[in-house]
Amino acid sequence: MGQQTQAVDLSERRGAGGAPPAVSLRGITKRFPAVLANDAVDFEAAPGEVHALLGENGAGKSTLSNILTGLYRPDEGEIWLYGERVDFHSPRDAIDAGVAMVHQHFRLVVPFTVAENVVLGDHRREGSSFLVHQRAIERRVGELSKRYGMHVDPRARIWQLSLGEQQRVEILKALYHEAKILILDEPTAVLTPQESEVLFATLRSMAAEGRTVIFISHKLHEVKAVADRVTVLRGGKAIATTTMADATPRSLAALMVGREVDITRRREHGGEIGAAALELDELRAVGDRGGEALKGVALSVRTGEIVAVAGVAGNGQRELAETVTGMRPMTGGEVRVHGRPLRGGDAREAIGAGIAHVPEDRLGTGVAPSLSIGSNVVLKSYRRYPIARGPLLRLRAIRDHAADLIKRYDVRTSGPNAPARQLSGGNLQKVVLAREFSGNPRVLVVAAPTRGLDVAAIETVHAYLRDAAAAGVAVLLISEDLDEILALADRVAVMFDGEIVGEVDAETATVEEIGLLMAGVRERTP
Amino acid sequence: MNNSILVVVLASAVLYGTPLLFAALGELLAERSGVLNLGVEGMMLVGAVMGFWAVQRTSSLALALVVAAIAGGAMALIHAFLVVTLRANQIVSGLALTIFAGAAGLSSYLGNDLNLADQPAKRIFHSVLPKSLRDLPVIGPILFNQSLLVYGSWVVVIVVVLYLRRTRPGLNVRAVGESPAAADAMGINVTVYRYVHTVVGGALAGIGGACFSLSITPQWVDGLTSGAGWIAIALVIFAFWRPGLVLIGAYFFGAFSALPYTLQAHGVTIAPELLQSLPYVMTVLALVLVSSAGAKRRLGAPAALGLPYVREER
Amino acid sequence: MIRIERRLEQPGWLNVAVPVGSLVLAFGLSALVLVATGHDPLQTFRRLIHAAFGGQAQLTETVVSATPLAFTGLCAAVAFRMQLFNIGGEGQLYMGAIAAAAAALLLHSLPMAIVIAAMVLAGAAGGGLYALVPGFLRAFLKTNEIITSLMLNYAAALILNYLIFDSQSYWRDTTTAEAKVFPQGKMLPDSAAWPSWTLHGLGLPLGFLLAIGLAATLWFLFSRTRFGFEVKVIGDSPRAATYAGMRTRRKILAVMALSGAVAGVGGASQDGDFRHLLDPRGLQQAGYGYAGIVIAALARYNPFAVVLIAFLLGGVQNAGFTLQGADFPSGLVGVMQGLILFSALGCELLVRYRIRLASRARRPVPEAAT
Repeated sequence: MGQQTQAVDLSERRGAGGAPPAVSLRGITKRFPAVLANDAVDFEAAPGEVHALLGENGAGKSTLSNILTGLYRPDEGEIWLYGERVDFHSPRDAIDAGVAMVHQHFRLVVPFTVAENVVLGDHRREGSSFLVHQRAIERRVGELSKRYGMHVDPRARIWQLSLGEQQRVEILKALYHEAKILILDEPTAVLTPQESEVLFATLRSMAAEGRTVIFISHKLHEVKAVADRVTVLRGGKAIATTTMADATPRSLAALMVGREVDITRRREHGGEIGAAALELDELRAVGDRGGEALKGVALSVRTGEIVAVAGVAGNGQRELAETVTGMRPMTGGEVRVHGRPLRGGDAREAIGAGIAHVPEDRLGTGVAPSLSIGSNVVLKSYRRYPIARGPLLRLRAIRDHAADLIKRYDVRTSGPNAPARQLSGGNLQKVVLAREFSGNPRVLVVAAPTRGLDVAAIETVHAYLRDAAAAGVAVLLISEDLDEILALADRVAVMFDGEIVGEVDAETATVEEIGLLMAGVRERTP
Repeated sequence: MNNSILVVVLASAVLYGTPLLFAALGELLAERSGVLNLGVEGMMLVGAVMGFWAVQRTSSLALALVVAAIAGGAMALIHAFLVVTLRANQIVSGLALTIFAGAAGLSSYLGNDLNLADQPAKRIFHSVLPKSLRDLPVIGPILFNQSLLVYGSWVVVIVVVLYLRRTRPGLNVRAVGESPAAADAMGINVTVYRYVHTVVGGALAGIGGACFSLSITPQWVDGLTSGAGWIAIALVIFAFWRPGLVLIGAYFFGAFSALPYTLQAHGVTIAPELLQSLPYVMTVLALVLVSSAGAKRRLGAPAALGLPYVREER
Repeated sequence: MIRIERRLEQPGWLNVAVPVGSLVLAFGLSALVLVATGHDPLQTFRRLIHAAFGGQAQLTETVVSATPLAFTGLCAAVAFRMQLFNIGGEGQLYMGAIAAAAAALLLHSLPMAIVIAAMVLAGAAGGGLYALVPGFLRAFLKTNEIITSLMLNYAAALILNYLIFDSQSYWRDTTTAEAKVFPQGKMLPDSAAWPSWTLHGLGLPLGFLLAIGLAATLWFLFSRTRFGFEVKVIGDSPRAATYAGMRTRRKILAVMALSGAVAGVGGASQDGDFRHLLDPRGLQQAGYGYAGIVIAALARYNPFAVVLIAFLLGGVQNAGFTLQGADFPSGLVGVMQGLILFSALGCELLVRYRIRLASRARRPVPEAAT
């Protein structure tokens, strides 16, 4: 299966009339419980092209690529590679057929070395002998990384690498396994804008070698920047395929969402900016692996203001949110709310001080997933009247409160008794927001509030955040999504390696400026 | 000199440490693949009773070990089916296995049904090396006055070390235990790896159990292993999931298991119950020691330990 | 092809179907074990059911066996609810028995009501404090509570033996010549004999009624109080609990102490209801603690279901004692308990997942896209 094509010089296929497409998916359907993830999807990509797969979160992009990589089996439909029908029973079949994927959440074994990760699962080359020849595989991986200009030490352990470097390991893995078709799922999420440019160049050079690159994204400008052609998915269906020359961001956005959307970048929230509500002073904290994750963060947010913390994932943003909200002890510095310092390391104290928290891991942290929506909306208010009277809970009050919030925030659910894990991402986020707002916070810390949500839900969440600011709440927005930051924030602080390396005014800031700061380049001192 | 109490204690530490070593290595293999099997005690007991039965029937020690391994492996297969295929809670399934197979369960049932109580083993494992070696001062009794079980366990340690560090299946199993999703994406069959290592782990536990019934106390009584299976599980934690350290730990706990008997034989008059509680108390203390050292980082524990792997879920 | 899909809704009937189905399945599997070893399962089961539930006398004995199981079942259910795997119910029961016996011996001259109350409290304190050892280690050092609580079972058994067989302890009877040769515990005073009632010929010891009362209290605690709410959240998601500002460590200590105290009262009931002396052999014979785990899991941690299932398994255990002999091998009770737990785990799958037999052929789309 696909083996015989390996000998063919791929570059010759390029543009040759009548040559079969590299990938052809025909009528792919995949169902999950209560979800039709792919609905008779047709998709084609030619050798030597960068083909973007554009769609909202939940449009079925990931499912489609998991089918192409043998992780899922389609319920219906056929996969053809280079004119031959293939049937993948497992990921190994797909790898052998020359399909590789860089997942959004990397599939790397964290304690292993780069070389070990690259040869994992190899049954044809250096890694295939019964005994593992450490030297040989390290040499081979070293050669590969040199050839493609992706520098990474083959002996380094994954946990020592930045996310950008880890992505290089994933790509090296694909090259090592001689992938002819490379799928990348939202690869720029862990990169600065400048790093993204470098990645795009790499992808284009790989396409020039005759490979096919399938680039999954929901960001219009990226698709515009890198792809030759684009296929738009919506609601599990393939809506259209067009060449980039024929597409504008506006037309793509309309295809993606199914209606005209406003893609201008900034809207005022009209909050009246007042005195400092949240002040961080030389804040220090230790990370999960024991190293210092916050190295003296200084920041302040005033009432009615949205301050965004930008940065590439893993530079201390998660620790920052956790430390401010009391989930992580601070090892130095101070957090003040309206001038009053917190002891820190105690979420209950932070809640009492009026700090609300929308965590980045909604399902794992923001709710107790198996408990009812009712229980989850009182997660922070169960200690006080009207939810509790003395040590006893008032079940009716819980039910009424939940029903009220479900109605006010338009949460789509079968009722307050449904477990939280049943909710879709957008509805779950509404529950979390509803609970946090119902505590009348003075400060709101939100992390990645729209990750994984579709456009309609993103608009709703953004509206709630603007409303909160307008009502005088000080909002600290922690996000890796620059579009989101520029759409919401008044000020942008950029975090790198546990420090704030610069602050810019959102009104005048450029993506390039923020991107340089994200890479740790300090250009000006305030 | 070879009768000095220290030498005797060390020699019996090796003897009593051997079943712990086998069982802990087996548990280590299962855990490295991500399967926590708390049924070690049960698997050891079934191995012990079936090994004893085989030696009474066939008078062949080799066959007895094979039977013990198969019996232990069969018990582990139940666990593997429940936790890998049916995705059951690994902790509860392991406890179920202990109750099912343990001192008041299948091992006792079989011992009764096969009439194995109150009879000495027809053959037992003896020292194999020449007398001149055994009589060497100090190291003679400790290292050379031992049976093939002891030397066999050393071979298993070396094999496990090399397997995990130097071979492709060893690399794969470590990947499965650390990140089944990554292993799966690279075409490694997570289910097969987990089944195989759990069952092999059970087989080693079965052999560990047979060490009791064929060597240490060569007879069958209910609950013969008296908690050795649990100590073996603790040993894996204590050794940070490294086979080499398991060897050292096994003899450390072996010494405490042997102490009551050796001291009694030397006429030390402390209440036997207090001495007998030593291995249990030491296990608790060792765990405390290890957890205060490595609690923050779960030192050495496979990242996916105890978690079922499900590919198709959203 | 079999497909396993996560259930989106968990229908209520599964709460009944799973335990019942598990019991049926477990009996089926036990029959296989019996057949494989050359026994007649129907014969064995008939005798088992007769010996357990065949008449008033048998039922009364079954309640006697069920009483400690209800306590250890509640003990496991309390802790497992918070994902705290306290499997030290066995040892905590011993410690409760030791403490309650001491209380009874010390207070022998006081009125019965006071002695009984003191025994219950002492039992709870003994079990609770003993459970706090693994609880403390877990809360502050993150030491695996499974292994520590289990190791402490062995230690508690040895302490029990030591007190009666190998020392001149306060609990040991040293008055008669016979007692010097065959060591045994001091008889407890008459004021420490717990009352029992008879209902239509069925004997109901105080301990059993206490277990029912405890089950009701625990049900209320878990479903109606802030404490129960916190336990539920911590059990489901420790991170969410930290996020909500709950004091997880304190809850671990409280739940372990509560769990151990429940088992300890079971030990007190052993002294007061049935044995009337500190009886190491009798206490260690049955493996109450391990059976408690089976019961808790089968009851899906519901306190009332624990009492009901303790009654059923008490019947099996009672039959095991009565019938022990050639055609009722001694380990059968443990085998059946293990199989019940296996079956419960297997059936639990039906709660969390739906199993579908899907043919590869094309079918009409069953669900609409949402």
